[in-house]
Amino acid sequence: MTIDLNPLSEAVIKGNIQAATQETQKALDGGGDPQTILDQGLIAAMDIVGQRFAAGAMFVPQMLRSAKTMQACVALLKPAFQAGTVSSKGTVVMGTVKADLHDIGKNLVAMMLEGAGFTIIDMGVDVLPEAFVQTVSEKSPEILGMSALLSTTMPAMKATIDALKDAGLRDKVKVMIGGAPVTAKFAGEIGADRYAPDAGSAVAAAKELLQTS
Amino acid sequence: MDNLPIPTFQPRLKVLEHRQALAIHTAALEILEKTGIKMENDRARKLLVDAGAKPFDTDWLRIPAFLAEEALGSAPRQILLYDQNGDKAMALRDDHFFFGTGSDTTFTLDLESGQRRGCVLNDTGRFARLVDALPRFSFAMSMSNPQDIPKIEFIYVYTFAEMLRNTNKPIVFIADRLEDMQHIHDLACMVAGGDAALRQKPFILNYSEAISPLRFPAHVVDRLMFCAEKEIPICLPSGSNAGGGAPITLAGALALGIAENLAGLIIHQLTRRGAPFLFGPNVSVLDMKSTVVSYGCPEWSLTQAALADMRDEIYGLPIWSFGGATDAKVVDAQAGAEAMFSIVTAMLSRCNLIHDVGYLEYGSTSSLEMVTLADELIAMARHFTKGIPVNRETLALDALDRVKSAGTRGIFLTDDHTFEHFEEALFLPELLDRSRYDAWMAEGGQDLYRRSNAKARSLLETHRLEPEMDAGLNDEIEALLQRI
Ligand code: B12
Repeated sequence: MTIDLNPLSEAVIKGNIQAATQETQKALDGGGDPQTILDQGLIAAMDIVGQRFAAGAMFVPQMLRSAKTMQACVALLKPAFQAGTVSSKGTVVMGTVKADLHDIGKNLVAMMLEGAGFTIIDMGVDVLPEAFVQTVSEKSPEILGMSALLSTTMPAMKATIDALKDAGLRDKVKVMIGGAPVTAKFAGEIGADRYAPDAGSAVAAAKELLQTS
Repeated sequence: MDNLPIPTFQPRLKVLEHRQALAIHTAALEILEKTGIKMENDRARKLLVDAGAKPFDTDWLRIPAFLAEEALGSAPRQILLYDQNGDKAMALRDDHFFFGTGSDTTFTLDLESGQRRGCVLNDTGRFARLVDALPRFSFAMSMSNPQDIPKIEFIYVYTFAEMLRNTNKPIVFIADRLEDMQHIHDLACMVAGGDAALRQKPFILNYSEAISPLRFPAHVVDRLMFCAEKEIPICLPSGSNAGGGAPITLAGALALGIAENLAGLIIHQLTRRGAPFLFGPNVSVLDMKSTVVSYGCPEWSLTQAALADMRDEIYGLPIWSFGGATDAKVVDAQAGAEAMFSIVTAMLSRCNLIHDVGYLEYGSTSSLEMVTLADELIAMARHFTKGIPVNRETLALDALDRVKSAGTRGIFLTDDHTFEHFEEALFLPELLDRSRYDAWMAEGGQDLYRRSNAKARSLLETHRLEPEMDAGLNDEIEALLQRI
């Protein structure tokens, strides 16, 4: 049985929430497989969105609207999955480090990762190294993402990585860092796994880290 | 009997009608009264509640409009900043404009190699010294976030001390914790000759920020109240950037930023009536491709011009603004275009304290060359803004008669009138090149970046402060840095 998922993808790309949810419902009612709808309808659409954005043909608000549209569709799919079988790309714990209150960039990265199919645990701003460690130990995420916008708070990233080591958790989680003053060089120095300069490349980096697509 | 002199119209840019200004003001008051603010500082919350604000949820307060009107009534309409020698330097009010550098950049363009590299403390000193040398710069900011500070948590105390050592002009400074503020105040008192002298002749102004939308972190408000108590002039622009912390439409972003500023002003005036407060939010935009907050966009120039109009129409308080910055990564044509755009519009709209001059890369990188060439751009804009004086002497009918009588060889260049007036009649560029092609080539065919580089180097080599810091004071400062 084949269900045409193109109208769904089109609606996600356009950010038309109403049309996209209707298409999702139609696909489900027509006996479509939820995993197929997710992969070939929704995530495929978001991949196109990502490509168009990278090519300068789409702007951030349009991309975020597409992500929001996808989320609304995923909500419809959820009941159709048996508990636990919804495939997430992986879990990412995100936060802005200790004494830093900048969060616009961190939020944007979180939203984009979510749009790409990751599950996000957002710890907010001014997150102490101990708090990161605790959440990593409790939730066992695949990735820890830290944001710092101040030269004075960048050392807190190293402190967190060191605290992860002390807790014996460092090899259980990939660490990704970013924020305006952060550089790839700094990431290397403090033993982070990845640096990404913006939200778009953060998604690509997360996928690379987990070797998914 | 002579007639009255003809007044000179000095070009003035307006972007708001009175009714637009009033509507934005009313919206700001409505935000305070109906939406409220999130006040995370206990002392300030109590002050506000005692004055009539209504608490709700956790930390939220609704603030009645009359408190804003009262605060606007008690804040001074002029902020007078002195230089470090105790002379009047900047009378911040109505149509006076003053330019200066910006604060924390992560990187700087190395003067020798031209490479973008991390800032060190020596850069802070060099920027301050360059500001001291350049006549159109009125105040210094750190222009760097040095990596080589012995105690990184005291970065703002170190950069402040470094500026003291390298300029006698007024200083606009950043502090993080209340503790920083106390140390910086101590340093400033050493220079001014004590707390009373500093109150009498303040040479410092603090730049703190609330968080859009509507959030007032405890430590930020601690600093605000500290400045009020010590009568250190302060500004509290929140980052109500369109599309980020604030609505994408500029009217809404302005209303939100102004509401936040009014809330700050209210706390400030409740702490100490009459303490000096520099008004105004930072309303730039979030770029919709790169998601950087832009420092080269026309929107920021537009919102601060609007704020200048609102100052004239409603608030009466001097304002905080930006200019001479760019999103370009190098000192190129984009850098020149964007810097000049914001310089000329800030001046034409009569913004008062204009900072960030010399920023590249949306505030991530600083450049000594950019500061140097901006000095000339400011001079150029100023020449335009002075307007065209019209009187007997400038109409020059007598000179015309003389030149006419000189017959076919008559040219104004040889007339005394030209000799007497050319220096004030013309803008005489120094860095901007008008030389003939061959002469330019003979000088090495250098572009503006190269020429600015050479000028910055020579100024840094030759410029001396008047006076240089005396050894005793330097030791006192060093002792404080050792102590913390
Ligand atoms: C908006 C802003 C603020 C707002 C923040 C509001 C908020 N809710 O976040 C307010 C006004 C509160 C603020 C306060 C301060 N700020 Co501020 N701020 C900015 C500004 C203008 C824009 C930052 C921003 O939001 N950009 C938009 C977002 C989308 O971009 P982004 O944050 O860079 O994030 C992107 C990437 O970096 C990356 N990324 C970010 N995080 C992560 C995480 C991961 C894991 C990954 C992979 C990627 C990634 O992806 C993001 C999306 O593409 C910058 C200057 C600038 N143009 O960048 C200064 C800036 C960051 N601030 C600065 C300073 C100094 C301060 C203050 C100390 C100022 C003061 N006077 O008190 C305070 C500090 C408060 C504190 N303790 O945190 C300096 C920092 C310099 C430095 N090297 O330390 C800057 C650079 C300005 C300057 N040149 O002076 N600020």
